[in-house]
Amino acid sequence: MLKVENLQSGYGPMQVLWGPDIQVKPGTVTSLLGPNGAGKSTLLWTILGAVRPWEGKIFFEGEDVTFEPTHKKADRGLVMVPEGKHLFKEMTVYENLLMGAYRKGAQEEREANLELVYSLFPILSERRTQRAGFLSGGQQQMVTIGRALMARPRLLMMDEPSQGLAPKIVMEIFETVEKLKEEIGLTILLVEQNASASLEAADYVYVMHEGVIMAEGTPEEIEASHEIKEAYLGI
Amino acid sequence: MFFEQLSGNLVQGLILGSVYGMATMGLSLIFGVLQVVNVGHGAFIMVGAFTALILFQSLGVPPILAIPVALLIGMCLGMIFYYGAVKPLVSPSGAGIRKVGRRQLGKAAGVFVAVMIAMRILSGVLDLNIAFSIFIAIILMYAFLVYVYGGRRQEKGPELATLLVTFSLGVILEEVVKQIFTSEARGYNWDLGKLDLGFTVLPFTKILASGGSLTVAVLLYLWFNKTRAGMAMRSVVEDSVGARVCGVNVDWQYALSFSLGIGLTVTSGVLLTMFIPVGINPYMGGGYTLKAFVIAVLGGLASPYGAFFGGVVFGLLENGSYTLLAALPGGEPFALTRFFSFVMLLVILLIRPTGLLRRKG
Repeated sequence: MLKVENLQSGYGPMQVLWGPDIQVKPGTVTSLLGPNGAGKSTLLWTILGAVRPWEGKIFFEGEDVTFEPTHKKADRGLVMVPEGKHLFKEMTVYENLLMGAYRKGAQEEREANLELVYSLFPILSERRTQRAGFLSGGQQQMVTIGRALMARPRLLMMDEPSQGLAPKIVMEIFETVEKLKEEIGLTILLVEQNASASLEAADYVYVMHEGVIMAEGTPEEIEASHEIKEAYLGI
Repeated sequence: MFFEQLSGNLVQGLILGSVYGMATMGLSLIFGVLQVVNVGHGAFIMVGAFTALILFQSLGVPPILAIPVALLIGMCLGMIFYYGAVKPLVSPSGAGIRKVGRRQLGKAAGVFVAVMIAMRILSGVLDLNIAFSIFIAIILMYAFLVYVYGGRRQEKGPELATLLVTFSLGVILEEVVKQIFTSEARGYNWDLGKLDLGFTVLPFTKILASGGSLTVAVLLYLWFNKTRAGMAMRSVVEDSVGARVCGVNVDWQYALSFSLGIGLTVTSGVLLTMFIPVGINPYMGGGYTLKAFVIAVLGGLASPYGAFFGGVVFGLLENGSYTLLAALPGGEPFALTRFFSFVMLLVILLIRPTGLLRRKG
């Protein structure tokens, strides 16, 4: 579904990505692990088109989308849950969700997707008229995920969805990830610091370090390798 | 007698305040979306004032009908200035990460200011036509500088550079208008009669100006809150990264809000001349820039409605204090009103540093 080849990018003169190759198969959860500063977020932003690629190719569903701007990619169903939520805090929960369905294509399926989000997160239905800024951290993360679902994603890229949340909420978020895969058949590219939980949720794992892919394999394979776990994952 | 005067001045202040508010909405909008303080604000008000004057004097168009023309002129100017000058400094580059290039921009800005000061001096000393050709040369040089040094886009460009660029745009506008119309103060006389309230007399043009401001403000509010396009712009104000992941074309929203902000400002110039139809000259904007800053701060800086509200408060303070100060023996009320308004600003900022309308946190 998504194929990234020898992608290079960075900020100003500073190169961050040194040519990682990754592939995401439809209907799977692919996990991207690695320490802070490994370039995981930059990889997602480059795939999304918010950071301009210097070299390499990005294919989405067989088409070359390397230089397509972010809003065009949104039309293709390439959607991101950004790190740090980035909610519209002054808007209500409902308005936040509507913004998720901003693109023309997503507007047509707005009502159906709204139903879906409310059924996944019933609490958002109760709080729909509240300002998003007044919700708890966990609920805000639900809004962020809900907002992304409103864009009728085909590939959902999640950047640190469990960051800064209480352990119980982290569990819920990972349960949601599994639900999205099992029940809706969504394809997910997951970036996480929480290595053990995401090894559990993933079908395939990439380990990234200093802008390159150091290892890849099924969670079992990664789990079995002591060197990888010690050197890059700290578990 | 005193109360009659006070209530008269307060009513005048209320309707002038709504025009002030309207004149500040563009500033707040641009600040809210681009985090750019448009230091050339007053020059755009001046463009609006000239639009009203020219349309009325040479074509006989009543100023109220000049509003859509002014909006259009302003939006075009805004687009040209955005793509020509502001964009290289503010264009967002993705995930909110700042790129390098500050030093070069600083240099460009420095040269730019030197050139501008030289231009001001030259246009005073030399023959007008020579000054004009120098001026054209400067524009070219400026374009060159922005593109050579500012070519690397960066997130929320260095604030100083955006201040200098907007200031310069204002100066350029003032100089162009001066070349065409000279610096002589002009005025027009559009008489629709007066409304006698007993304690004060209101010309209908003033009431129209106030009504026009209110209408524009309400339309803007509805657009922001009820339409998809308005929601998109609001989302950029609140969180540009969030807007981006929702598929909002953030670069276009930047251009659009700059253009709309300038459009609103030029429009407010028309409305201001309906209130004060005299003293229209290329340098009239300075005082309004200052007032607009005070008003924007009163209203919480990034909110256009806050700005409108701040404008009304400012108008009331300015005109209300006039009566009080006039009652003081030996005072010079006109000069003191400005002092009083700024003192009130200080007091309000001490009590509510986030502005009158801003929620805390």
